[in-house]
Amino acid sequence: MEQVVTVSNITKFYGQCHVLDSISFHVRQGEFVSVVGPSGCGKTTLLKMIGGLAYPSKGDVYINGMSATTAREKGKIGFVFQSPVLLPWRNALKNVELPLEIADFKNPQEISKRLLKVVGLDKFENSYPNELSGGMQQRVAIARALTSDPSLLLMDEPFGALDELTRDHMNLELLRIWKEEKTMISAVIFVTHSIPEAVFLSDKIIVMSERPASLKGIVRVNLPRPRHTKMKYSKKYNKLIECIRKMLKED
Amino acid sequence: MHKKNAKRRLEVVFIPALFFIGLLLVVEAIVFLLNIPEYLFPRPTRVFLDIISSFNSLMWHTSITMAEAVAGYIVGNILGFVTAVIFAHYKTIERGFYPYAIALKTTPIIAIAPLLVLWFGTDVGSKIAASAIICFFPILVNTVKGLKNIDDVALDLFRSLSATRWHIFTKLRLPNALPYIFSALRISTGLAVVGAIVGEFVGANKGIGYVILISTYHLETVRMFAAISMVAFGGVLFFLLVSFIEKKVLFWQKSQSPD
Repeated sequence: MEQVVTVSNITKFYGQCHVLDSISFHVRQGEFVSVVGPSGCGKTTLLKMIGGLAYPSKGDVYINGMSATTAREKGKIGFVFQSPVLLPWRNALKNVELPLEIADFKNPQEISKRLLKVVGLDKFENSYPNELSGGMQQRVAIARALTSDPSLLLMDEPFGALDELTRDHMNLELLRIWKEEKTMISAVIFVTHSIPEAVFLSDKIIVMSERPASLKGIVRVNLPRPRHTKMKYSKKYNKLIECIRKMLKED
Repeated sequence: MHKKNAKRRLEVVFIPALFFIGLLLVVEAIVFLLNIPEYLFPRPTRVFLDIISSFNSLMWHTSITMAEAVAGYIVGNILGFVTAVIFAHYKTIERGFYPYAIALKTTPIIAIAPLLVLWFGTDVGSKIAASAIICFFPILVNTVKGLKNIDDVALDLFRSLSATRWHIFTKLRLPNALPYIFSALRISTGLAVVGAIVGEFVGANKGIGYVILISTYHLETVRMFAAISMVAFGGVLFFLLVSFIEKKVLFWQKSQSPD
């Protein structure tokens, strides 16, 4: 299978501060990969470097054979951040259109309407962010990330601020959008601090250590797809969670 | 909905109006009962009658002062805004000029006013200049603050979209600064009128400042109160107009903008 993302020997210093220590992994086409690790270990920094928003001090990142910056400039990467970062003066439709406006697209409405439908918000086109719930706001952010038809979706704890029920629901929605809707997305990298969320969503989990973060291990999740909420009661699922928890605890 | 609006209007318009009339009645009664001489504190009814009888002349002077104030307001706010945009984008220029901007701000306008009359003459020019100078700082300080006060994540979003500086300015920084800008615009409505009147005090042959000064010389306190009332009314109208525009423009803000 083709590699979508190749991360090789990434090391990052912020001044004197050693954040990441020679991290290598790759993401294949069709893979959903989560990154877990203690808070403040540099997960977000890692994600930013994959997205071409930060640069490694040593090492390389390739997206479909391009440098991360080139891939970003070509619109191959979709970003969903911790907070939805919707512009309060734009309604849902206009927020989704933002990347298209920046890219000087001629008919943004057609695309933005279709994508709001994909995330299940076609009835809220004209609503302003302050009229939408947290989950709905993050749906708009997902629709916005899909506008450039990216092949890679990078998500930085996108559901961290939501309550548990909404979060579970959004996890299922995310899998639905990824697998069932017609998008170009071939891989997802998902940063989270919730081990159960990572296990539920992923094919592969990258476990990171404390600062300076290095790779503790990569865990394969061989639960069948499509995933169902029922799986959360299965032995396999809970064993995986336990296993990752142990990995994080040992020094 | 309709009922609610009607109730709100009652609260916003009628209650202050009733209090105002009540206050005037109390003042009228006190002045009458204590037998205060008219040159010290005229009865409100006398002031009211004076406004009615000399309405055309008072209105003419008021409109001159208000025109000076509005012209200075526009000039000062445009200059302040442009300066702020330059400051927000070029740190060196900001560092170099900011201390002097502050120094000019702390110099009272009344101290500069004679110089302005010397430079711009006794006609409206010097009053417009005084208004513009006094309006320059609120907009400068607030616009710089608004343009810079951007969430790091929002900047990350725009960078992830490979946005240019111009995109970031027009689609993020400027709309983000609007609440700060309007806050300054609201504050400087009053300041603009102050600037115009100070300019008129120093040297003028028309305008409400001139009327106030002349009535002091002649101890025409009734006329002075009439003039003050007229310009106060003009200032309030100016403030309300800007507040109204602010509400229309900043529709996404539920509460008032930051001060």
